[in-house]
Amino acid sequence: MPDSSPSLSVRRRLRQGRDRLATVLVTAGGIGVILALLAIGVFLVVEVVPLFWSTGATQAVSPEALWSPLAGPDDSVGHRWDPTASLAAGETPRVSLVPLAWGTLEAAAWALLIAVPLALGAAAHSALFVSSRLRSHLKPTLELMEALPGVVIGFVAGLVLAPWVERHLADVLAMLLLLVPGLLLAGGLWSCLPPRLQQVVPLGWAGLWLLPWLLLVMVVAQALSPWLEAWAFDGDLRQWLEVHLGLDIAVRNAMIVGMAMGFAVMPSVYALAEDALSGVPRSLVEGAQALGATRWQTLWRVVLPAASPGIFSAVMIGAGRAVGETMIVLMASGNAALMTWNPLDGLRSLAATIAIELPEAGPGGTHYRLLLLAALLLFVFTFLVNTLAELVRTRLRRRYRRLGGGT
Amino acid sequence: MSAVLRRCLAPWLLLVALALPQVQAQVQAEEIAGILGAMGSDTMAGLMLRWGEALSRQHPGIRLQLQASGSASAPPALMAGTTRLGPMSRPMSEAERRAFIERQGYPPRELAVARDALVVVVHRHNPLESLEGHELDAIFSDSRRCGAREGVHQWRQLGLDRPEGRIRLHGRNAASGTHGLFRRIALCDGYFRPEVNEHPGSAAVVAAVAEDPRAIGYAGLNHLTPGVKALARRDSEGRRHFPDPEAVQRGDYALSRDLYLYLNLPPGESLPAAERAFIDLVLSPDGQAIVEELGFVALPEARRLDQRRGLGLDEAGS
Repeated sequence: MPDSSPSLSVRRRLRQGRDRLATVLVTAGGIGVILALLAIGVFLVVEVVPLFWSTGATQAVSPEALWSPLAGPDDSVGHRWDPTASLAAGETPRVSLVPLAWGTLEAAAWALLIAVPLALGAAAHSALFVSSRLRSHLKPTLELMEALPGVVIGFVAGLVLAPWVERHLADVLAMLLLLVPGLLLAGGLWSCLPPRLQQVVPLGWAGLWLLPWLLLVMVVAQALSPWLEAWAFDGDLRQWLEVHLGLDIAVRNAMIVGMAMGFAVMPSVYALAEDALSGVPRSLVEGAQALGATRWQTLWRVVLPAASPGIFSAVMIGAGRAVGETMIVLMASGNAALMTWNPLDGLRSLAATIAIELPEAGPGGTHYRLLLLAALLLFVFTFLVNTLAELVRTRLRRRYRRLGGGT
Repeated sequence: MSAVLRRCLAPWLLLVALALPQVQAQVQAEEIAGILGAMGSDTMAGLMLRWGEALSRQHPGIRLQLQASGSASAPPALMAGTTRLGPMSRPMSEAERRAFIERQGYPPRELAVARDALVVVVHRHNPLESLEGHELDAIFSDSRRCGAREGVHQWRQLGLDRPEGRIRLHGRNAASGTHGLFRRIALCDGYFRPEVNEHPGSAAVVAAVAEDPRAIGYAGLNHLTPGVKALARRDSEGRRHFPDPEAVQRGDYALSRDLYLYLNLPPGESLPAAERAFIDLVLSPDGQAIVEELGFVALPEARRLDQRRGLGLDEAGS
């Protein structure tokens, strides 16, 4: 007994030492991350500031040039991004970052418009309606989608999807028009089925038996599209759009980017939203249903509000990724620095511009600093999105804490 | 005495005579071994690699290490001494040359190693055959410095009834040598329209044009595929110049350029052995055959021999 006490105290001291070491490491890690983040910001600012003074290799750029439009030769006024050509001596610099910021936000908006309804619908469906066996397969599959590299998605979108959509524009439109009525029709038909058949195709497995139905809808849409085109669009949809709506159609356009990036963003939004929805306590759901709420009412009035902080942060993380995504926009957008509302025209994003032009811009030059300014802008964008997300999330969480749901 | 001498010395002499060439060969092979670094143009990446392979076949000790990160990366690397060869698809700009002289005290050595041309391509079913300089400018630019009166937006403005609709424009990304050259010659130093789709490579431009009957684009000559048609350039007297090798070599086809290799060579010094072997190969008939194999155009013969003489390379076999 007397000889065990020194070893005990040694062990205790050892444990305390290890504890202290772990604390130091964790603190150092945390501070390190914050410092790295600050360092990135400081580096960008330090590199960008000389842009506004004329020094050595850098030629001063007036701040107005960064956001004011220029008059073209044929009375067209527009924002232009053409730094390599216009930074030569004696030319007006064409370095407006406005079209690039526009392109970034437009691409992100289209991606979210496509990804958020699909991802949230899928999350609500798989959290509440799907049979647990299907769900256990569905979730890993969707999460596997997240592992697809952006380059691959961008490649497929730019070189396969874009030309196909351009050639079959009417088919795509017909499919979009028929999709919702087709699904509603499926629901209506299902409720008319005799109960014995309803047992064969249960609602919980709708994710599977709807697939052949969707395929059928698409085939019907493809068969109907020539009629649609002849009846409503004088036989040629592309021509009609150009003549009647004045829309230019580019092969690689904002829609394609939206679809491809939506596909890339969807899995992460889905995964986070699904976690938030299934995190809502069973007691709440069962309570609502015991009080006579239908499943739809339960979802809409109880589960969604309770999970709203988690869902909101899921959407915001999707937005952050869509703003910063590079390769998909680079390969699927055509990189034309335009500013239009037309979803069938090209765009050019900040990230893609940096990726294309930085390797050719000499370090320390005006072009190089302009690109770093674009990077700084991108940094500010994502920072704002994340801060906004965090603010809204904490507020929502405080409001719905009583319900005991959401993360 | 002489018999003894002959008997004693003959075997030794014979041995030395037999061994000498081998020793010499060994010395030569040892002399030019090592890694030859090159950094610069991505247009010339394929060319540099093929030359490097051919060089390693001649001198197994030498290996070419290429970093194809764009023409603009060559001058800083040459200046800092991190690379010995700087392939560039455009001549060094005044600023780059000045910076080099400031740092080193002498200008970089410039060598033209091949000729290249830009082709304006349309879809293979497009009826258009040729374009005049100002028409090309009116299609691609919104500055119109080559003298066109109004911009060309629709195919019918070129007098064609097919394809219908707007012209879709494709090109290389800004900051590439190809983009700069097209801007300088075809747009008379003007500005591209913002509608021009910018692709990160010539192959992507050609692929985009090949799949769209309403598209027009420009790309490097060596990227032509059967899916697209190269347009001739019409001069003011109506003569057409097709981008064929002879016209590019002579310079009759206006959208042609030299491809360069830059060296950091102090004046009065001769080339180090590895560089010497590489340039000897590049400026040899074999090296120029590789140029043509890859779809570029060989240097005119007189120019090639002239540059060889300038570097003091003896022309083997002539």
